[in-house]
Amino acid sequence: MKQLLLRFEPVIWLLFGAGLSIGTMLLTGFVLIVGLAIPLGVVPADALSYERAHMLASNVIGRLVLLGLIALPLWKGAHHLRSLSIDFNGEARDGAVGGLLYLVAIIGSVGGILAVVRL
Amino acid sequence: MRVEITRFDPDKDEVPKTQEYEIPVQADWKVLDAINYIKDEVDSSISHRWSCRMAVCGSCGMMVNGEPKLTCKTPLSAYSDSIKIEPLANFPIVRDLVVDIDGFMDKFRRVKPWIVRAKERAEDMEALNEKGTYSQSPAELVVFKQFSMCINCLLCYSACPVVANEPEFMGPAAIALGHRYNLDSRDQGDRERNRIFRGAGTVFSCSFANECSEVCPKNVDPAAAVNQAKLGAVIDWAKGLVLPRGGA
Repeated sequence: MKQLLLRFEPVIWLLFGAGLSIGTMLLTGFVLIVGLAIPLGVVPADALSYERAHMLASNVIGRLVLLGLIALPLWKGAHHLRSLSIDFNGEARDGAVGGLLYLVAIIGSVGGILAVVRL
Repeated sequence: MRVEITRFDPDKDEVPKTQEYEIPVQADWKVLDAINYIKDEVDSSISHRWSCRMAVCGSCGMMVNGEPKLTCKTPLSAYSDSIKIEPLANFPIVRDLVVDIDGFMDKFRRVKPWIVRAKERAEDMEALNEKGTYSQSPAELVVFKQFSMCINCLLCYSACPVVANEPEFMGPAAIALGHRYNLDSRDQGDRERNRIFRGAGTVFSCSFANECSEVCPKNVDPAAAVNQAKLGAVIDWAKGLVLPRGGA
């Protein structure tokens, strides 16, 4: 498993890097609007009414943005948790832990793809 | 001033111990001056490395109050009335303040820190010689100059949490110096180095804690080099998927 992870390390790092950017910028803005601005009335509630949100999300760009928001932070989280595991356990169980974490990210990404396709 | 210094004699000691010295100091002294004073005037048995006294040779790196510092560049006035000097962390101790850097030298050699050229044909060499062999413009120099300022003081290895955890990790200075050659317009060895960078315990082991850049006394910013090297290794990997390798 460790050899397999090593082989795909460039892809994993790319997804992690993208997730880091998405998590830091897009997701923060998303939470700011949905979690704070709308409840506080700074942004009118009907700005993201179901019909408007559905229209926004169901075109190709909207679907891709949603997929990025769902899948990429999963890769960021998986990679961070793997680093944390190495910090605590060393390299000994890295193959198994990394494999499990990335499996969760893969399942989440596939779920995200299915979700945006079926929108 | 009270100065605590780590003492370790491999012939007598099981583990390192601390010895205290009380010395007079001058306002303009660096930490290295205090160690040299003790060595010259108080206790000649202390072993430590130093040479240039102007932050160029990179040999006087030590832990000062728990932080990796170049002792010839660190003013004593930055500390109050006591100071603790230890050998660089994350390296085996040879004696007192001297550490074993053979492990680093092995990692350093692995990144091929020299200009690698493909075998040149005689007619190409003539053309090269006419315009000045391997000439380089100031713009091409500035691309890698910062990373070439590393003096191998190894403070970055002492600060790096990944080195502390995985001693086999190639580490900041070796990767930064390998990347320096990848950026050099005269070099043609980037494919070889990128292959090495994609191996176990190299660029992707870095968790970007940035501590190496925090402690670097020459502002090399090895963390930037390591992360640029990650991108270079990924681009090279992607190219390998879509482009023929030309027999390389």
